[in-house]
Amino acid sequence: MYRKQVRRRRAVLALLIVGSFVLLTVTYGSGSNGLQRGVSTIFSPVQSVADGALKPARDLVNWFDQTFDARGRNSRLQSELRKAREEAVGSNAALAENAQLRKLLGLDRGGAIPSGYEPVTGRVIARSPTVWFADVTIDAGSGDGVRVNDPVVNGDGLVGTVSSVTGNSAQVTLLADHASAVSAKVVPVAVQGVIRPNVGDPNDLILDFIDSTKHVHKGQAVVTAGWRGQGIESRFPPNLPIGEVTRASIVEQEASQQVHVRPFADLRDLDLVQVLTGGSRG
Amino acid sequence: MILTPKMLARLVAILVLGVILQLSFFSQVALFHVSPDLLPVLVISLGLLGGTMTGAVTGFSVGILLDCLLVAPLGGASLVLLATGYLAGLFRERFEIHSPLVPPLLCMGLTLFAELGFGAVELMLGTDTAVSGLVVRDLLVKSVYAFVLGWPIYLGLRRALRPALVEESTVRRARRPTVLGA
Repeated sequence: MYRKQVRRRRAVLALLIVGSFVLLTVTYGSGSNGLQRGVSTIFSPVQSVADGALKPARDLVNWFDQTFDARGRNSRLQSELRKAREEAVGSNAALAENAQLRKLLGLDRGGAIPSGYEPVTGRVIARSPTVWFADVTIDAGSGDGVRVNDPVVNGDGLVGTVSSVTGNSAQVTLLADHASAVSAKVVPVAVQGVIRPNVGDPNDLILDFIDSTKHVHKGQAVVTAGWRGQGIESRFPPNLPIGEVTRASIVEQEASQQVHVRPFADLRDLDLVQVLTGGSRG
Repeated sequence: MILTPKMLARLVAILVLGVILQLSFFSQVALFHVSPDLLPVLVISLGLLGGTMTGAVTGFSVGILLDCLLVAPLGGASLVLLATGYLAGLFRERFEIHSPLVPPLLCMGLTLFAELGFGAVELMLGTDTAVSGLVVRDLLVKSVYAFVLGWPIYLGLRRALRPALVEESTVRRARRPTVLGA
């Protein structure tokens, strides 16, 4: 009797392990499937309600975290503020000049969102629990016009890209996810590269494959490259802000062809985001 | 664990609630920049209460639900969580839980195992990006959170599932007073 019970347990365990491997093999890289779409459709409203109900509690816990964090950042920000004030005067002049030039060139589109794109606002309703994945689920889906590969931004800059869509929700792969890669350029030096994550540290991205003959400096901004040519083009429109260069040692640039970038958007603390739908991407 | 339809419904409700709470609350809060992971703690506690099969089956189910809601490749989280639940159940079947520190310590250790397992699945699927040293800090802090969450969750689950727990009823029977000289 006992042996029979042990055999049955082992059989169930083996079945579950084999089932997991089979599911992994079948579903890896194939996007969302019928089961996921069904479950997502059922649970999205529940998640939305839970998200709204738990927001005050979340804000309270995050307030503690941000308070601890703010104390450490205070002194650094004060020195940055002094520096920023000095630069502000020069920047204002440059902005005025830039506005004139943009008008002259007919490029002024009157906003950060490139023309041809329709922003769809979504709220983050779920987030991957492990440190290895950096995905969030938002409450806007194909019913709102969201499609796979649409870029996702928030008020600070590029956040990620839509990796799968159901009727009323979408999965956003953040810049910090291991699967993320965004063609980008450093301004104003126009050095191009690919923004890749440093898994486990969402405040540190790596601009990889840069031209080691042109040197990038700390503090320079990084934006999407938005290249196009020979019938193909980038998933991202050009000039979406991504972050600023935080570490750019000459040795690393020449040996590894990479510099470190801090994203403008706080990828750990996302609430409202905008999906840039439409556009001319293929 | 003796599962009547009522207890099964209760168990399913606990698992679904756990996954929703994780995605809508715990994953979106951060203390010292790290979010607690409730799901390994839930699965470990169920393994400790119900044994290897309960741990493995609940781990598999939670993993599937998690992968469905995150639209991730199915099977990755299931594989890790079923192993975690199975190990917790194995501990329950091999050893007595004498100290109240055992469940939280097991939650801590097995959560670390689960998080490393998620990393191993990532490697298996071909991650070729840099991995920051901060991952180690995150894993350790997550384990500490699991220690803190372990005891209340274990106690809560034991209370909620008490009628289904084999050991509990055995203990209750054993504690009946014997009538001497009868």
